[in-house]
Amino acid sequence: MDPFINDLIVYWPQLLAGLERTLILMVIVSLTGLAGGVCVFYLTLVKSSILHKWTEAYISFFIGTPLLVHLFLMYYGLPQLGIRLSALTVAVIGFTLNVSAYNARYLATAYNGLDKEELEAARAQGFKHSETFRLIILPQVMRLSVPSLTNQVIQNLKDTSVAFLIQYHDLFAQIQEIASSNFHFFKAYMTAALVYLALVSIVVLAARRFERFISLPGFETH
Amino acid sequence: MALIQVRNLVKKFDGRDVLKGVSIDLYKGQAKVLMGTSGCGKSTLLRCLNLLVQPTSGQVIFKGEDITLPGVDVRKVRGEIGFVFQHFALYRHLTVEENVTLGLRKIKKIKSREASEKASYELNRVGMFEHRNKYPAQLSGGQKQRAAIVRALAMDPDVLFLDEPTSALDPQMSREVVTVINRLFLDNITMFCVTHDAFLAKYISDSIVFMDDGVIVAEDIAERLFYESADPRIKQFFMSVADHR
Ligand SMILES: Nc1ncnc2c1ncn2[C@@H]1O[C@H](COP(=O)(O)OP(=O)(O)O)[C@@H](O)[C@H]1O
Ligand SMILES: [Mg+2]
Repeated sequence: MDPFINDLIVYWPQLLAGLERTLILMVIVSLTGLAGGVCVFYLTLVKSSILHKWTEAYISFFIGTPLLVHLFLMYYGLPQLGIRLSALTVAVIGFTLNVSAYNARYLATAYNGLDKEELEAARAQGFKHSETFRLIILPQVMRLSVPSLTNQVIQNLKDTSVAFLIQYHDLFAQIQEIASSNFHFFKAYMTAALVYLALVSIVVLAARRFERFISLPGFETH
Repeated sequence: MALIQVRNLVKKFDGRDVLKGVSIDLYKGQAKVLMGTSGCGKSTLLRCLNLLVQPTSGQVIFKGEDITLPGVDVRKVRGEIGFVFQHFALYRHLTVEENVTLGLRKIKKIKSREASEKASYELNRVGMFEHRNKYPAQLSGGQKQRAAIVRALAMDPDVLFLDEPTSALDPQMSREVVTVINRLFLDNITMFCVTHDAFLAKYISDSIVFMDDGVIVAEDIAERLFYESADPRIKQFFMSVADHR
């Protein structure tokens, strides 16, 4: 048997554990990033101009700076201020801040395309601002941004691989470890690529089904 | 006492006077049409009356209460005024029935079952029952506007405002909608309707108010205003409207 395959079998439990951590991180940050994105998007609609500016600044900052910098800042920088966080905690916080900014931008873009007369109609009917947001704005912008939002989930899955740089033992970290013990770098990273490809394919299929599930006449996204 | 009394209403946008002291009365059971050239302030007037736009000065007395004063429950006032828009403004992610029931359930706190029974009844009256499960994207313009009228009426408003309800429709669909509004008129629904459509104006109004550049120039029944007015602004307006038909 190919010695590399043999190694894969030997390291199987470790690989599975890595895969599990990759999926955990992806699922958590996809959910927190969606929730965060909705909150940030809500703030972009608030009339107060100060809050508005801060929200815009937040979005620009996190879209405009590398995720890895935030992760390093929290994982290696904060301990110098006496704050020590686990790798998972840092990854979840860092990713959430970053993904929320992207998702908020997608939702805000979709909002710009909404028919504002509908929102005026809601106001004229006597809906509160928060009700209009929940009942009219959100269901529409979410549907319109489904392609961007699901793309972001795929992006999250791939991005989890940078978490190994802050000692998070995800799938990529485990493969890295196998490679550095047996020196089969090419085969190891090819394996990693194929596993990510398989995972992404599953997410894509799920996303398609979801898109069809929530699609309505007038809200077809492709 | 009038249902709505407007006294000396002024609205400025960025220092520019759009309404220059408008006074008008609308009684219960009365249907008034508001006409005037584009940009003269008709939509602004309607929007001031349900506080979608805050008036700069003057009074709007709705059911005896000056609603321009601070401390007024704005949403309650809006809930008692139905509003129909030029471009229908149906909620696009909801079916026709859901468009009608949303306000009933969330604002009037009516139970889903009752709300949908009420919606069915009202939709049936305008020939929209069979379309109740369609989304706005699946409807013609005339159907959308009929649904929008039902959405407003189902809330049992004290008065119905219509802002150019037929302007976005071709003549055929426009007729469908005029028929519906005419029935409301015959049912003595209190209405205040902005339109450029002389045909609509004639068939749905007790009287017509003519506005020019932020002031009310005349108010009279259709025949006298259309055919006997000596005011050059009114003559010119009706000539230009007639050209379109
Ligand atoms: N929100 C607004 N801000 C600034 N100007 C406005 C606003 N709404 C309306 N206007 C101006 O007020 C004038 C009257 O508008 P409108 O009431 O819509 O006229 P009409 O409905 O009679 O065509 C127009 O010149 C328009 O540009
Ligand atoms: Mg107008």
